[in-house]
Amino acid sequence: METIKIKVAGELIQARVGETVVHSLWNAGKAELIKTGCVGGVCGACTITVRSPEGKMIGTDLACMCPVEDGMEVFPCPVDLALTVAPEPNPTEEKLRKAYPKLDKCTKCGSCTSACPMSIPVMDSVLRMRSGQLDKVADDFTTCIHCGLCRFVCEDGVQPHMMGMWVRRSIGSSVEKDMGKKLDHNLLQAELEWKYLLEGSPVDRMNHARQFRKNGKIEL
Amino acid sequence: MIDWAKDSLYKLEATREERFRSKPPEIGADDAQKLLHQYHPDYLGRQRNVRLGPNADNGEIPHELADLLESDSQLPVGFKPSVDIETDVLILGGGGAGASAALALEGAGLSVHLATKLQLGDSNTVMAEGGIQASLGANDSPRRHFSDAYVGGHGNNDPDLLRVLCENSENTIRWLGQLGCILDSNEDGTFQLRPGGGTSLPRVLACKDYTGLEIMRVLKDAVLLSSTQTLHNHAAIELLDDGEGQVTGAVLWNRNEGNLVSVSARAIIIATGGSGQLRFQNFPTSNHIGAVGDGLVLAYRQGCKLVNSDSHQYHPSGTAYPEALAGQLVTESIRSIGAQVVNAEGSRFVHEMTVRDVLAAAIIREVSEKRGVQTPTHRAGVWLDTPLVDLQKGEGFLRKKFPGIIHRFKRYNIDPAKQPILIYPTLHYQNGGIKIDKDGRTEAEGLWAAGEVTGGIHGTNRLMGNSLLDITVFGRRAAMSVQKSLPQRRPVTLTRLNKFREGLKNVFPRQSVLSPQLFPALTGMKVVLAEKKPKEHLNQHLESISQVSFEPPDPFAK
Repeated sequence: METIKIKVAGELIQARVGETVVHSLWNAGKAELIKTGCVGGVCGACTITVRSPEGKMIGTDLACMCPVEDGMEVFPCPVDLALTVAPEPNPTEEKLRKAYPKLDKCTKCGSCTSACPMSIPVMDSVLRMRSGQLDKVADDFTTCIHCGLCRFVCEDGVQPHMMGMWVRRSIGSSVEKDMGKKLDHNLLQAELEWKYLLEGSPVDRMNHARQFRKNGKIEL
Repeated sequence: MIDWAKDSLYKLEATREERFRSKPPEIGADDAQKLLHQYHPDYLGRQRNVRLGPNADNGEIPHELADLLESDSQLPVGFKPSVDIETDVLILGGGGAGASAALALEGAGLSVHLATKLQLGDSNTVMAEGGIQASLGANDSPRRHFSDAYVGGHGNNDPDLLRVLCENSENTIRWLGQLGCILDSNEDGTFQLRPGGGTSLPRVLACKDYTGLEIMRVLKDAVLLSSTQTLHNHAAIELLDDGEGQVTGAVLWNRNEGNLVSVSARAIIIATGGSGQLRFQNFPTSNHIGAVGDGLVLAYRQGCKLVNSDSHQYHPSGTAYPEALAGQLVTESIRSIGAQVVNAEGSRFVHEMTVRDVLAAAIIREVSEKRGVQTPTHRAGVWLDTPLVDLQKGEGFLRKKFPGIIHRFKRYNIDPAKQPILIYPTLHYQNGGIKIDKDGRTEAEGLWAAGEVTGGIHGTNRLMGNSLLDITVFGRRAAMSVQKSLPQRRPVTLTRLNKFREGLKNVFPRQSVLSPQLFPALTGMKVVLAEKKPKEHLNQHLESISQVSFEPPDPFAK
């Protein structure tokens, strides 16, 4: 298999074309160099900064999602947990401001948006927070993996992903959930059905389950 | 982009219109069994008996797992536990089950510690895509949910456990809502329900294709706001007992400092998850870096029997190309709304919504009979014809409802809305595990378990959407049971470990590895104890880490 060379935290690593930075480290016996979690791009543990071969393009990424490229340089960029603030029912921008007073510090530099490995329009969403478009904010942060890179790169201490979480949880917990209209099984009927499904030999139970899943009724 | 497969792609496109209208190929129960026995990895005889412990000579399990159950402890011989942390409840594992347990203990007036090998939330839960089952539909009921899961599990489920799972779906969805989880809903405010493989009605609730992420980040946020003390980077390497049968604590390895931390607890809830990274039969996996069966090993040494541990779920749609995404999940939901599974000849060969093990076996059959597509990276797979989704549901549907899959492939110039993707089964879920009762109690006094580490609920094949339900139902139930019957604090000893070590002397040949393994063998990551480590070496290591950690280059410098 074709191999190339990359540098991770200053160490030269031989990597196979097509694999990710994380897997190249595993194969090289250097897994400890980058803190790793889900290996599926959603836990946000393996945050890195990357300089590409010509020294030009430089940016943030997740090591488990980043395919190796000959000559690339990778730097671990672990982001610590931030203190979180409890959600509030019926959120408004005032309540958000109180929870995260740095909301108004944003200078619209756009670093957060460039840093986001999930392509969330972070800065636009911070501006939406200011103007109270919280439903849209909740939608923007649907795919947020809480890696914290947007907070890490913000020179003004704005914490976009924390605010996104606050907005989502606040909205989510304010809505009374409609559990739908169900066939009103009385308890006696339910017990009869459980008896039908749970009693008898394993073969009986399997046959009863097969029958019951056809229409949700006991047919004798 | 996928030039190397253009002949096969041409065939696939040529049959698309006809397939679009075709009925899925049905498969009878007997043929499904034959298919499983011939092609499913669980049935290929790569299993053996364990030679000591509660499962000794009582049913075969994969040899990779059997090896770990017969391996010696990571604890140095002669280690004496002294109590470093005293707590009421110790939860081992920072995924969905552990977090649910912690939240259910809030307000009970107990001190709670949650130890996780990684960081809170770095788990299989966070990667779950498709959804969570709840019998909220008009003609649905917990009984019907039970029937589907029982048939799907080949009747090997523990019916009492399964009943608990199905009877608690509605209150679990309500609980998640109260915590602030946002699941997809219809215009009228009711939840959207999708079909899943083996469900007789649409019953799967979702948050796009990021359901586990939504649930895990909310649970994590809530735990961080709770009074639970979270010990990040603390891996459990042994359980402690009082010498009279009660589990009374654990020894944790602090990965940051390299030291061992002994915890005395009145109750322990083990929620350490699955074992996909053991890579049975060299399958790729969709699992996180820590999924190597730690909890099975720890509980086994305490005398806990494992059930259905011969059974693992190979998710039918793992990514086969590009290489960087190999083994990663493509959610079943995409199939449930119209993406078909198609071989290299452009033919549909199996009902896409049959249960996972049958579908996986069918895909393996196609590939082994040369009707698969070979990738330039030495893998093989079959097509998942994703463009059918937009054809059926309207342009833009896939992008809107499945942003995860679109996002991941975009980097490789593959747009699943326009071109099919290549899939092959990936090791996804540990169907079996520690035997528990309806309250999450294991067979060892003082030890409870919840989530993927347990066995019995799902039989020998889990249905989509039942694991997110499992962790939230049984994580909370274990916590409630702990509150109701909290044992007295007892001494911490290594009596059971010492007995186990005595037993190991009669097992030949000896295993060369130590367990729990903590990390995939592939990574070479090992338990390194600070006191055993030459001082300079440790310092050097920490220095090099801190240099790179604290001085990352400015990512936006031109």
